[in-house]
Amino acid sequence: MSETTAPDSIGSTLGAPNTARASRKRDRTRWYFIGPAIIWILLFTLFPLLYAIRTSFYAFRSGKMLRWVGFDNYRNLWEDEALRSDLQRTIVYVTVVVVVEMVLGFLLALLFNRQMRGVSSLRTIMVLPLFASPIALGYLGKTIFYEIDGPVNRAIEALGGNGIPWLSDPTWAFVAIMIVDIWQWTPFVFLVSLAGLQALPQDITEAAEVDGASALQRLFSITLPLMAPILWLILLLRTIDAFKVVDIVISMTLGGPGRATELYGFYVFRTARRFFNYGSAAAQGYLLLVIVMILVSLLWGRIRNLYEHDVEAR
Amino acid sequence: MSQPTIHELYRALVSGQLSRRQFIAKAAAIGITAPALGFFLKAAEARAQDEPTPVPADVAAPAVATPCEGDGCLFAGQTVTFLTPNETIQVPIFEVRDEFEAATGAKLDIVLAAMNDTLPNLLQDVANGTGAYDASIIGAWWLGELVEGDYLIAIDDWLADDRFPQWSLDSVLPAIRNLMQYDGKTYEIAYDSDGQAFYYRRDLFTDPDHQTAFKAEAGYDLPDPPTTWDQVIDIAKYFNGKPFGPDGEAGSGITMHLAVGQQAMFHFMTFSAPFVIGPDNPQLYWFSPDDMTPLITSPGHVQAINYLVELSKLGPEAMMAWGLTESWDYFLSGKAAMTFTWGDLGALAQETPERGGKSLVKGMTKTVQCPGTMSYYNIVAGADAPTDAPNIVGNTTGGSWAPVISKFAKSPEAAYYVCALMATEPKAKAYAARGFDGVDPGRTFDFPPPDGTGNIEDYVKAGWDEQDAKDYTNAYFQTFSNPLQFPYLRIPGTFEYWLALDTHLSEAMTGQSSPEDALNAAASEFEDITERFGRDLQLDSYKRSFGFE
Repeated sequence: MSETTAPDSIGSTLGAPNTARASRKRDRTRWYFIGPAIIWILLFTLFPLLYAIRTSFYAFRSGKMLRWVGFDNYRNLWEDEALRSDLQRTIVYVTVVVVVEMVLGFLLALLFNRQMRGVSSLRTIMVLPLFASPIALGYLGKTIFYEIDGPVNRAIEALGGNGIPWLSDPTWAFVAIMIVDIWQWTPFVFLVSLAGLQALPQDITEAAEVDGASALQRLFSITLPLMAPILWLILLLRTIDAFKVVDIVISMTLGGPGRATELYGFYVFRTARRFFNYGSAAAQGYLLLVIVMILVSLLWGRIRNLYEHDVEAR
Repeated sequence: MSQPTIHELYRALVSGQLSRRQFIAKAAAIGITAPALGFFLKAAEARAQDEPTPVPADVAAPAVATPCEGDGCLFAGQTVTFLTPNETIQVPIFEVRDEFEAATGAKLDIVLAAMNDTLPNLLQDVANGTGAYDASIIGAWWLGELVEGDYLIAIDDWLADDRFPQWSLDSVLPAIRNLMQYDGKTYEIAYDSDGQAFYYRRDLFTDPDHQTAFKAEAGYDLPDPPTTWDQVIDIAKYFNGKPFGPDGEAGSGITMHLAVGQQAMFHFMTFSAPFVIGPDNPQLYWFSPDDMTPLITSPGHVQAINYLVELSKLGPEAMMAWGLTESWDYFLSGKAAMTFTWGDLGALAQETPERGGKSLVKGMTKTVQCPGTMSYYNIVAGADAPTDAPNIVGNTTGGSWAPVISKFAKSPEAAYYVCALMATEPKAKAYAARGFDGVDPGRTFDFPPPDGTGNIEDYVKAGWDEQDAKDYTNAYFQTFSNPLQFPYLRIPGTFEYWLALDTHLSEAMTGQSSPEDALNAAASEFEDITERFGRDLQLDSYKRSFGFE
């Protein structure tokens, strides 16, 4: 017994602390890995969120907190006609640009998802706008849509048409900023869609082709269903991003003529950085957060259903 | 920075200054650098701060300060951090840096910010009491925000202190001097003087053919200069579409910068002033001094906006989206008969392609005080007030950019020294005469006799046409010396009030709302802003900034 118990007792006297120490060490090690991420989240996500909540309960004057105003800044959101019209305009903007970018980007990906001469160079050129600063593209857009002797209007006039008041007419100015957004972000949809298309199993498509399925049938019955999770994800990312657009508006129109191109993100930016009304800006930011979160939840639910359906099907 | 480069490249191609091959090569270079731009934007900004705009030797401002030695170096070991908009207005600060450092032993760090980011950066700094900036160039409408926040040092005690370079506050014309002071104290050091004057093509107005044709059309002689806005509209109607542009192309009656979020509201202020301000109402334009009720829906304001909308139809449609440079370029390229804007245009009109500029109108640009009206709506009496002579109102609309010293400055006296150095007469004269640095004239020595103590030769030496310079200096002297001045708003939230006006003006100009509705909407936003800031606080600031009892 003693021979058998000795190790146990040794184990109980020496091994247990060793195990505890090792466990503590393991715990510490775990914190070394998780710690930076937690600090990051606390500092750069949670703290700004909480600070913004606090800010949203104050009125400001000359850059200083003036007084506690309770929920006034949130109440004002509902009474602010300009903000409401900006939100409606933003929803139209997001809907149009995201739909066009999705359709155009996916079609281009289909086009470039084949072996052609010079295809890799073309693909690289295709994605270049994605890497440009949005503000630079905005300025470029302003130049392109310049009404007197601008390249686009000169081309239209050369073809016998009349120049379009791209930036001075409220409707056309809205179209112009959407075109620049589409120009910049279609390559994103293209890039991710192309990656998705190239990862699709070819045997299914080939089998369908052998069975006599037409190109359209293969697209709608095989490619699109298989690509659906990726496309929903792109839709999600682009929708979130499009709601926050500021740079293009700043560089092209500053929201004009009148308020014709004033989008929600620009409104928030201006409230904070031009009017120093940080309280209202924080409340406006939270409203946008809520709207985007609702959209994200809806879209994410849809994506999850697709994945679960996919897993169940397997 | 990328915008003018691309614009200029394209215009160079269109105007034949670049071949297609050169255009493609340069455009490709821009195309290649564009993606890199996004990645290296910050680094590029940092580099730009060390690269002053070169000043040609023949127009350099003379040295004023004597280099110091040993204990004579007043501020040895100190560093002055100077925040300034990254516009031409920064040129003198870079130019004076070596002289300042040699004279004081201090170091001058210049921080450039985009025009629209300068005040936010300064305000953030002072509101938090950080003291990152000792001095900053500000626009006059920021003064209320900064003084009411108790963020600035009043400089009155330093003005007569002989440790600093000497400049005279009395040399600043009264209208501009008022902008430098707030509630009886002086906060700004003299620098730039902004006001809008009326510019028109002397050659067109003195052309006998145009004179005859105008008389036949309008029924009276072509007035030179026009003295009322009614006349301006008639003249614009006459010239609009006439083939007086380069190579005989159709020109425009007028050009204005009407883009939202830029400077369009200043056009309205200048334009509407004589419709509201007059001998019996020298100050009431913005708010009632009793309760901050907005006054901008008065019949005078409404008449002014209707006139301005009418005038805006007599220029290119594109100007609804134009900022300053586009409108100025249009006038400089000889495509518009008239405009009203800041002093920069007079100086830019002298910059011909041979001198590296774009102007085709040197020697043809006449400048006069902005026209007036033959009656105004007297808000005090609540009735129209006809006048025997044109009711002409001076203005200081614009920025009148000038340096201020932060209350949190780490080296406030050294900061004041560098500002005072730039305000000395020899330097200030040079800045105003050369014009390209955005420093416009507003001091007695900028104007030739009998108006001031300056001379036209300084302008001619700096490249001006003599007649242009005479007209220009006379126009600005009259504008700033006019006993009737447009009331310049400087209370906290000024920019927000102005932007509300600016946005609704744009809606009226582009047909999105009627002029009356636009002013009503702006007034409604004025009320919201006042409520949010606190009506009593705003009223108090308003009264103090205008000196109302």
